[in-house]
Amino acid sequence: MTRETVLARIKAAQAAVADSGGGGSQGGQAPATAELPVLPVPQSFADPAALFIERARQLGVGVEIAVSIDDAAGRVPAWCRHKSVHRVAVWDTPDLAPIVASLRTEGIQILRPEAPLGELATADLGITGAAWGVAETATLVLPSSLAQPRLTSLLPPIHLAVLSADRILPDLPALFRSPGRLPSALTLITGPSRSADVGLTPVLGAHGPMEVMVFLVRNVAAEAASPLA
Amino acid sequence: MTDHPGSLATAEASGAGATPRIDMIGNSERALRDQDLQDALGRAMPSFRRQRAAAVTELPEWEALRTTAAAIKDHTLANLEAYLGLLEARVREAGGVVHWAADAAEARRIITDLARARGLRRTVKSKSMTTEEIHLNPALEAAGVKVVETDLGEYVVQLAGDTPSHIIAPIIHKSAASVAELFTRKLGVPLYERPEDITRAARQALRAEFLAADLGVTGVNFAIAETGTIVVVENEGNARLTTTRPRVHIAIMGIEKVIPRLADLGVFLRLLARSSTGQRASVYVSLLTGPRRAGEVDGAEEFHLVILDNGRSRLLADPRMREALRCIRCGACLNVCPVYERAGGHAYESVYSGPIGAVITPALEGLERGHELPFASTLCGACAEVCPVRIDLPRMLLELRGRAVRAGLVGRVDRLFARAWTFVMWDPTRLRIVAAVARALQRLIVRDGRIPWLPYPLSGWTAHRAAPPLSGRPFRDRRGR
Amino acid sequence: MLAQRFLDIFGAEEQIVTPSGSCAAMVREWYPQLFRDSPEGAHRARAVGHRTFELSEFLVRVLARTDVGARLPASVVYHPSCHGLRGLGLRDEPLRLLAAVRDLRLIPLSGAEECCGFGGLFAVKFSALSGAMLATKLDAIEASGAEFVTATDASCLMHIAGGLAKRGSRVRAMHLAEVLASA
Repeated sequence: MTRETVLARIKAAQAAVADSGGGGSQGGQAPATAELPVLPVPQSFADPAALFIERARQLGVGVEIAVSIDDAAGRVPAWCRHKSVHRVAVWDTPDLAPIVASLRTEGIQILRPEAPLGELATADLGITGAAWGVAETATLVLPSSLAQPRLTSLLPPIHLAVLSADRILPDLPALFRSPGRLPSALTLITGPSRSADVGLTPVLGAHGPMEVMVFLVRNVAAEAASPLA
Repeated sequence: MTDHPGSLATAEASGAGATPRIDMIGNSERALRDQDLQDALGRAMPSFRRQRAAAVTELPEWEALRTTAAAIKDHTLANLEAYLGLLEARVREAGGVVHWAADAAEARRIITDLARARGLRRTVKSKSMTTEEIHLNPALEAAGVKVVETDLGEYVVQLAGDTPSHIIAPIIHKSAASVAELFTRKLGVPLYERPEDITRAARQALRAEFLAADLGVTGVNFAIAETGTIVVVENEGNARLTTTRPRVHIAIMGIEKVIPRLADLGVFLRLLARSSTGQRASVYVSLLTGPRRAGEVDGAEEFHLVILDNGRSRLLADPRMREALRCIRCGACLNVCPVYERAGGHAYESVYSGPIGAVITPALEGLERGHELPFASTLCGACAEVCPVRIDLPRMLLELRGRAVRAGLVGRVDRLFARAWTFVMWDPTRLRIVAAVARALQRLIVRDGRIPWLPYPLSGWTAHRAAPPLSGRPFRDRRGR
Repeated sequence: MLAQRFLDIFGAEEQIVTPSGSCAAMVREWYPQLFRDSPEGAHRARAVGHRTFELSEFLVRVLARTDVGARLPASVVYHPSCHGLRGLGLRDEPLRLLAAVRDLRLIPLSGAEECCGFGGLFAVKFSALSGAMLATKLDAIEASGAEFVTATDASCLMHIAGGLAKRGSRVRAMHLAEVLASA
């Protein structure tokens, strides 16, 4: 069985290296491989949300700040009108319900996760939440689930993500320390899709969205009052 | 000097069974005469270098990260069987299927058999050097499965019937105009001028392919043993589409791609994008754990992971070469290499080019084929300086040179030069005598204090430089003044 | 063989100084590799390596001198040879020595840290590549407007000087030792 063959080759390889005294670049001194090295501690920033906003804007990601989800729900329709959006694919999660309701009253067509692919492929906008944000890189972290399809943030030409400021982590190491049990897909999104393959010229929207917009829900007053601030 | 088990000199060539020597001298000379290529590389490489430098300067902890990453990789390689075993167990727990392939032929067979068994007819692929290495596309096509490359650069390469020339930027050797012309010819679209329009044309054509495909094939940047997760890193979004729409997803990885813990990913991701393109993070990083869960509306229904050896265990067994397996395929070494900048990727005649290619191509394909590559270097060390996992490429190039010499692969002229040098430099008296003779003879060829021409094999020198004559008053005669 | 010979001839010396970064790097960094199969040889190689210095590092780090009383009223670019730079970590020693030379004007060299293309046998075996790398270096040197180019490595300089001569350039090459010996 190939599995056994490959594993046997690997075992033989380890024996060969051990026999010759470890080798490596020190010419005889075996590198310390018994233990995994201690990982660097995640950074901490005074105002992760502010760093996220700054770095997101550097990538051309739009950021609108709302003080609550209802505030966001009030402003998304105007933004959609401005972008000539008629058909929206959206995650079926409770936090987005006010936004969905708000869009419906505007007469914008809502596609739920179960919508057929043909319709999804014609959506102008995909609206998702985000489980976390990462400040250092302005990254959005999207898990997949029944109510949270992957294509919502991928097929439509514009992706709008609603992110709560208290979910912003300082850096990627902080994210990977404790994401819980991993979903079938955890997608890290940093800006719009891009490619520089053709003539070395950067182009947006190679396969994924050309535009990413973040509605950041941040209650500054609540933050200031919080004992954790 | 001891011989190592699985000696590189007797390594069987894999893939296309090629034994003809890679003619790096000839290829590089031809590349230097290709002005379009020189212009493209001359613009791209400095740009990559600048972007990388800016991204790296931003992180004061950069050097510490490199050291940590190298240590994680070395630990993993030293305990590889355990980590691969854990990875396999976790992938299965998550509902995936794991296959093992000893070599390229077996990997091709596994994938084509799977495609046949599931009745798969249309494949979309995202960029993967590993799939190039095993020559997967022709095998799938022969099995009646249509294959479409979806990474923009690879798509162009496929349409043009060409091969990629850079790990990260496959069509660095092609101008925008040539791509536009290709699209007009093959896709029937108007002749566009702007890269945005050219890219848009590809996006549209490929969208249709994604939505119609039943098989998606990707490579793997990292495979996390602890969680059974594969990680695919990209900027375009084609890998996400490849792993979301088709009902079967096959991911192929070399044995060295495994990392122990999810937390280790934090270190590698911080190094990868900055080293590769100077971005703080690549646009999309997909962490995939098994096929879709019950009730999900997208994601593959079946997930298969192919774990590939194809000569890597030989590198693993070789204490002086093993660290090449730390490579995370960032391309930084290519971008700083003055030889790569002028010779381009195709000169290496191999899937892996640049400094890392010069080391692993002889290792994976045999010294008979690749022995010229390690000599195509001044050992300037720029590559080692930028490698995020601290691979000591110059040391390994030098090591391979020694092996090529001992295997009798090095030409007469090189050997003659080495012998002559050793003879002359052996002894101060000998040096004095030889130098006196040379000084007398050189009067015949010195012009204006310079030697403009020397016969073969030293004509290589005088093609580009004058040679200095030996001094009338050598330093050793001036001491004490 | 040659390495063994070197150790035999120079092994007893207290300090070995060479006007070549690549030679010093060879002895210090690579000799232990060459002798890796002989613990005694490797030990000796390491011991001798510790006493082997390139000229500028000897002056600055061992003798703690940066001013050797030199004077050269000219504009100069400095090419940091690769093995000195990356092999020995020679970054500011040559620069500090040059800064102390009276009336010398040091001009920055664009792409300074890029290899000049010598590389030993590489210069002859891969002469086209070597020539192309040299051309880039020469373009940078000439664009700087300097009258002289200097370096710590005689081999790089021979290659650069040869190229300058072939171009008929008015820029002259001077080894760092020659600059420091100017008065």
